[in-house]
Amino acid sequence: MKHKICFTINREVKEVEVEPNKTLLKMLREDLDLIGAKEGCGAGECGACTVLVDNEPVNSCLMLAVEVDEKEILTIEGLSDGINLDSIQESFLKHNAIQCGYCTPGMVMSAKALLSRNPHPTEEVVKEALAGNLCRCTGYQRIINAVLDVAKKGGKK
Amino acid sequence: MKKFEYLKPDSIKETISILSQFGEKAQILNGGTDLIVEMRDKVVQPEYVVDIKAIPGIDKITYSEQDGLHIGATVTLNEVSDSKIVQEHYPILAEACKTVGSYQVRNRATLVGNICNASPAADTAPPLLVLEAKVNIVGSDGEKTILLNQFFVGVKKNILKRGEIVTSVTVPHVEDEWTGVYLKQGRRKDVDLATVGVAVVCIRDEIRIALGAVAPTPVRAFKTEALLRGKTIDESILEKAGKSALTEVSPISDVRSSQEYREEIIKVLVRRAILQVKGVCNA
Repeated sequence: MKHKICFTINREVKEVEVEPNKTLLKMLREDLDLIGAKEGCGAGECGACTVLVDNEPVNSCLMLAVEVDEKEILTIEGLSDGINLDSIQESFLKHNAIQCGYCTPGMVMSAKALLSRNPHPTEEVVKEALAGNLCRCTGYQRIINAVLDVAKKGGKK
Repeated sequence: MKKFEYLKPDSIKETISILSQFGEKAQILNGGTDLIVEMRDKVVQPEYVVDIKAIPGIDKITYSEQDGLHIGATVTLNEVSDSKIVQEHYPILAEACKTVGSYQVRNRATLVGNICNASPAADTAPPLLVLEAKVNIVGSDGEKTILLNQFFVGVKKNILKRGEIVTSVTVPHVEDEWTGVYLKQGRRKDVDLATVGVAVVCIRDEIRIALGAVAPTPVRAFKTEALLRGKTIDESILEKAGKSALTEVSPISDVRSSQEYREEIIKVLVRRAILQVKGVCNA
């Protein structure tokens, strides 16, 4: 039986009917055409599917879509205002923190959550916050530099 | 993932009634970080998934000297490790919670879920065992409280019967000065299951030891604790303690480690943890 759920996604209120056996990630990608979040492992190891639910980063592959009823979701698609990129996205570009790009949406969302709860993290704290996001091109140092650079400039947005 | 019916009861009473009615066809959904993976892999295929996150009153951490620390069923691991109360009174528990999975996982995963899942490698279990935590269970016959030590009955098996649910875990207040550490050996620093986990606390002169990932359940090393009672900590007693701990567990070889490596690491971590709680940190 489908469940009717209502949530806010990227500042837009949505009402959908969803099968309970669909993960949040599947709903984002298949029903809402938000394909920024990726399925890497599907088991909470790689973080490629990271999105924010009520401002906290979660693995969207480990959440059922029905669980986001009445919640607020932010995905990588909701970071820019349509013209300007978020400061974290700008910083990733500037620091060449992107290689194949598969991990990038998850990395950026984890960084976004980190900088909202702690605008001035140390390198150690950045590493801890990104520990659940794997990059198989192993561009970690550039990613860490990109996040630290945003923090240095005020960590806003 | 196989189809199922999603239920979201808003009281413990209703939850118990659903669980009693459907028995093994029903699975509790709390943080979901274990359940959803198992459903995806078709290891479990429930017909009813019972989300307990709408139940009021089980989402809090409370503390008093009289009642100890109370952690509700739906409190996440990040909520435990970020709690000022836990950091101040039970730092070993805050540290252990931080070793589970990733930040994202800990935003969903709960301490009570970690216990109920009953994995031998559950990182919150060894610290809770040495702190002599209790599990509060509600079922159709009413409430009961049992020691965590009696809660685990086998690999991924707990003592819960049909229709029962764990509503919280209670950690007693520790009267005296005490210190504790949880040492976890994994294949890498973050986001890994424990190859071996060792929790040691020293309360006054009493040393308590618990081990994870080295037996079908997390275990208290009572014999080793008895061996250490009243002894001065020196090299000879540390070596005996390590060997004694080995006799209380039954490590296996698996994807994370060989049995031989686990045996070696148990000795190393038991020694290191005892030295650390005794304030000699040059292990």
